[in-house]
Amino acid sequence: MSNVATAPLLRVANLNKSYGTGLGSRNRTQILRDVSFELRRGQTLGLVGESGSGKSTTAACVMGLTAVDSGLIEFDGVDLTSLSKPEMRRMRKRIQMVFQDPNGSLDPRFTVADLVEEPLIIHGVSGTAERSRRVEEVLDRVGITLKQAQRYPFAFSGGQRQRIAIARALVLNPDLVVLDEPVSALDVSIQAQVLNLLSDLQDELGLTYLFIVHDLAVARLMSHHIAVMNSGQIVEAGTSADVFDNTTHPYTRALLDAVPGARRRAKALAAAGTAVAMEGK
Amino acid sequence: MSHTNALPFPSRSMARDGIPDQAPVLSVNGLTTSFYTASGTVHAVRDVSFDLYKRQRLAIVGESGSGKSALAMSLVGLVPPPGRIVGGSVKLGGTELVGLDDAGISKIRGRDIGLVFQDPMAALDPLKTIGTQFVETIRVHQDVSAKVARRMACELLAEVGVNDPGRRIADYPHQYSGGMRQRVLIAMAIANDPAVVIADEPTTALDVTTQAQVLDLLAKICDERGNALVMITHNLGIVEELCDSVNVMYAGRFVESSSTRSLFGAPAHPYSKALLDCVIDPATAKRGALPAIPGSPPDLSVDEPGCPFVSRCPIGRDELRCATERPEARTLAGGAVVRCHFASDTPGDAA
Amino acid sequence: MISTIFKRLGVALATVFGASIFAFILLRKIPGDPARAIAGDAATDDAIAALRKSMGLDDNLFVQYGNYMGSLLRGDFGFSYSTGNSVGSLLAQRLPATIELGLLSVIIAIVAAVLAASIAVYSRRRWPDRLLRIASSLAMGSPPFWIALLALLVLSIQLGIFPGPEGRLSPGTLRPPNVTGMFTVDALLAGQWGTFANAGWHLILPATIIALGPFAFLSRLYRNQLRGTLRETFVTVAQSHGLRRFPVYSRHVAPHGLLALLPAASLLFADLLAGSLLVEKVFGWPGIGSMTADAIIQKDFAVVQAVLLLAAILYVVVSLVADLIMTAADPRTRVGAR
Repeated sequence: MSNVATAPLLRVANLNKSYGTGLGSRNRTQILRDVSFELRRGQTLGLVGESGSGKSTTAACVMGLTAVDSGLIEFDGVDLTSLSKPEMRRMRKRIQMVFQDPNGSLDPRFTVADLVEEPLIIHGVSGTAERSRRVEEVLDRVGITLKQAQRYPFAFSGGQRQRIAIARALVLNPDLVVLDEPVSALDVSIQAQVLNLLSDLQDELGLTYLFIVHDLAVARLMSHHIAVMNSGQIVEAGTSADVFDNTTHPYTRALLDAVPGARRRAKALAAAGTAVAMEGK
Repeated sequence: MSHTNALPFPSRSMARDGIPDQAPVLSVNGLTTSFYTASGTVHAVRDVSFDLYKRQRLAIVGESGSGKSALAMSLVGLVPPPGRIVGGSVKLGGTELVGLDDAGISKIRGRDIGLVFQDPMAALDPLKTIGTQFVETIRVHQDVSAKVARRMACELLAEVGVNDPGRRIADYPHQYSGGMRQRVLIAMAIANDPAVVIADEPTTALDVTTQAQVLDLLAKICDERGNALVMITHNLGIVEELCDSVNVMYAGRFVESSSTRSLFGAPAHPYSKALLDCVIDPATAKRGALPAIPGSPPDLSVDEPGCPFVSRCPIGRDELRCATERPEARTLAGGAVVRCHFASDTPGDAA
Repeated sequence: MISTIFKRLGVALATVFGASIFAFILLRKIPGDPARAIAGDAATDDAIAALRKSMGLDDNLFVQYGNYMGSLLRGDFGFSYSTGNSVGSLLAQRLPATIELGLLSVIIAIVAAVLAASIAVYSRRRWPDRLLRIASSLAMGSPPFWIALLALLVLSIQLGIFPGPEGRLSPGTLRPPNVTGMFTVDALLAGQWGTFANAGWHLILPATIIALGPFAFLSRLYRNQLRGTLRETFVTVAQSHGLRRFPVYSRHVAPHGLLALLPAASLLFADLLAGSLLVEKVFGWPGIGSMTADAIIQKDFAVVQAVLLLAAILYVVVSLVADLIMTAADPRTRVGAR
């Protein structure tokens, strides 16, 4: 492992990706164009954009789930695009993912304890005692009791299922966690619980997050840095405060202005000056 | 409880400035809908009452499982089996809708009450062109030729912002984007000039910029046509932006009904307050702990004796009264109607 | 679209080729010596050896297959030892009877399945659906030849409603002039109403029995498809526009159900084929099915081989056509996105 604190844990440079469409793949659709960003250890990068912006494809590339046309994905000093399949599999232990829909990623035929143990077995962690110790520890971290873990996923609410999915991702002690819209399927009241859990886990375990998100408010709340994507390109990047308070790109501006509620406040501000702004909550 | 005064439209004067008193277009009293499943009866809508007036924009806000969609479907008799309206009344003008047969309620749907649904990608028949479906929608209620109906459809499509409607009307749904389909569905919902439009999470499936356009469109149409809007949503931002009055729904009941201004200024019910606290404002959000509502929503198949919010409530958690006695609706001095033993008018008191 | 058609055609040809090899090998590897079957029990070993030689049975399998394919391409299906005819003329003679029976079975199966499932799903009551479930379970669970025997015994012999196992016409009935080979059609063309009625009377019972299996399968498929479609959002949306139950059902639900029946066409065809084999035998129907049943017993493998190949070709054609109709009928595959 790299001990250089300043070196980024993840460095993506000039990532390009396209899909062929039509007969003999004559027409190629460019999904990612020269996507570059860096993510430092212990920090969160919010990758923001609408559907089709390329943010999920970027995540898939980082996870090694899809091949890239060109570019560099450097994780802890190793170029992931150059790794063989077995090497990538070993590396995957250190890069885990949490998906939007916890139902899709949790096999309903297994108990929660089994589901959380599964990654340990896949990655060859031997010793039943060692495995159950780690399962217990990670379940405790996400707030699921061992007794609850003997039940099946359907017995849990959406928020709890997402906790289980997070436990599954963390049981291997990864360095990097790719969070793909982890709260967008959840209710507002539950969303806050899961976001708080993710923040706490990052502080306690020094985790690094690549946070794929369409909700700008959530992005701002969770991220140290933000990269805004549109049509496969990063159109604006910087610290959270920079991107949100000193927005330069019109697309980012449009995104911010489109948030319901925020729009009304902005309109009211423009119309009536400060008097109305005082009235906000 | 008495029907007429159970939940009077809150703060009439406040929410509907400048509109003279008039009869409501839609009047709902004690509406109760249950789902009879193999694993028990789910009481999705419990004794819901409200009045809707011309030009009013009423929000029904709640989380998943609060019963808000079941309520929307109950209003037009489209509760899917094994669900059933078990009590109460929905009056449109002078007509009682609960208990109407297929022929009777079909005359109301689309003509008096238009609906817009959550998922525009699934809301159109993939085997038929937009034109076929649109013409069908018009001709169900209006005695016009197919040719005239098609021309009307083109005009409506143009009104909702479909470019080149003469050509696009011959396209199939899969040739439209999600945002465009929702525009088409809005056009269909207003095609017969209904007095009431019910929109059930109309923008949840859309991207944020598309959502903004669709919300603007809905607002514009309601302004121009003067129909009443019932906006069913989980998004408080949409409520704040679009609606003048709001009902907060929790565990099948309206726990707070008030004007939007009063809800956002001084939420009376602890659940409303907690919900508002959970909303992250992109303009001010900072890394750090977010106020969260502990626990999860109650199981709707159990009808507990106390307040359904008790286990998650900062006030009621330790109160015997909240655990044993169901709070009845009461009107606060400011006009809000609240189901809470401890809610009061003064902001801050409630929490 | 064009490339899809070519791809399907390639797969179809490969399937037929595979089927020809499969049929060829299978019939040569099953126990029992066809030469002995033809020569009879009394034949000497020398006579049998000579017969084997003349039939080419001693050549290696590749040579045998080569010869077989060679004559096949010249239109020669081989020679049926048990009947003393060329297989080609046997097929030509018997195919119309089977096609007539099969077509009626298909019509009965589809019409009954669509009607029954529509009623079961459309009805507000529960019993039609339960009845359909029980009926389709019974139809699916009972072997057709057993039903055929039972029906013959009760309906024909005991009650006399239908004719006995006497083939396509009652003895003494005027045969219609040969145009299509299907007696009902030919009788209609010639205006022979008596013959038409008699031929129809002979057709109904075996056709219905063959249709039972496909009916069970299709009615379940159609019912499940309708149920699934009824839960689709666009159905609720159509209702919300003010369409009444029946128009919603006929315009937005049923078409999706019918579309789903198309991929089942090839399965239906296989079902039909298996059904007709023994049912034709039981009813003395002079078609391909009874001929094949006899040929299997007689180890007359030129006949069996030809029938297997024919079946494979038909199967492939049916699925291909169903696929193409499906592609053409669904706008999502026919019209590209804008």
